[in-house]
Amino acid sequence: MTTARSSPLTGRCLCGAVRYRIHGAPLTMYYCHCQQCRRASGASFATNLLVRTESLELEAGAELLAGFESSPGKRRHFCSRCGSPIFSAAEATPSLRSVRGGTLDGDPGLRAVGHFHVASRSAWFEIRDELPQHAGGLGE
Amino acid sequence: MLEGGCLCGGVRFRVTGKLGPAGFCHCKMCQRATGSAFASNAPARTRYFEIAKGAELVNEYESSPGKFRAFCRRCGSPLYSRRNDEPELRRVRLGTLDGDPERRPLAHVWVGSKAPWYTITDSLPQYADGDVR
Repeated sequence: MTTARSSPLTGRCLCGAVRYRIHGAPLTMYYCHCQQCRRASGASFATNLLVRTESLELEAGAELLAGFESSPGKRRHFCSRCGSPIFSAAEATPSLRSVRGGTLDGDPGLRAVGHFHVASRSAWFEIRDELPQHAGGLGE
Repeated sequence: MLEGGCLCGGVRFRVTGKLGPAGFCHCKMCQRATGSAFASNAPARTRYFEIAKGAELVNEYESSPGKFRAFCRRCGSPLYSRRNDEPELRRVRLGTLDGDPERRPLAHVWVGSKAPWYTITDSLPQYADGDVR
């Protein structure tokens, strides 16, 4: 299903200090149920929107962006003032950024393609949609 | 007793009483605070909620008047929220729990604000706003 992508496609953290813009179409979006994403979001699963690195423009708040290396070579960036997780960057995939869908202002114009790391999914969340489920991660 | 903590392990907490009813909140603030489609929270009585380690790492952000969202300043994990007008409760973010809270979410709230890209596919009750009466 395709829907209209908001133009411009922008996003921000909870306090509004960190703001970004995505130029052009995102590559894909998916739900991640891994333990790290659950702890980083505090939620049942994370919503990750993959975009090309050069398409992600930080418009404001660079000085407030904090990063945490959650696994070797992978940094999760969040707003140091309000805690919103904004995006992650991995050295293994320098041309990609994984933006947190909940920070979007509008509609990315695409829908999640599936659930990943469901082998680690939270005890209280049952996946009740028709999307494909994968025990492992996106590249596995 | 339930235990939990942030992603980096710096903050650890314990819930020594029962968790209250859990819910999925789709409000825009929770979307931004989780970076995801909805938050998954359950209340614990403040006297049964304790920070076992890393209190100095807990930052609070006042997201609306008198409501504070606590997170780890080292890794960003959202931990709980508290309200000045509800001092007896801490709303715990289920994603930070170690194990199975055994509570299951009972409803979706603030679905009037839900993300345009997310479809609720379960049969739990849905409430347009926070009023679940």
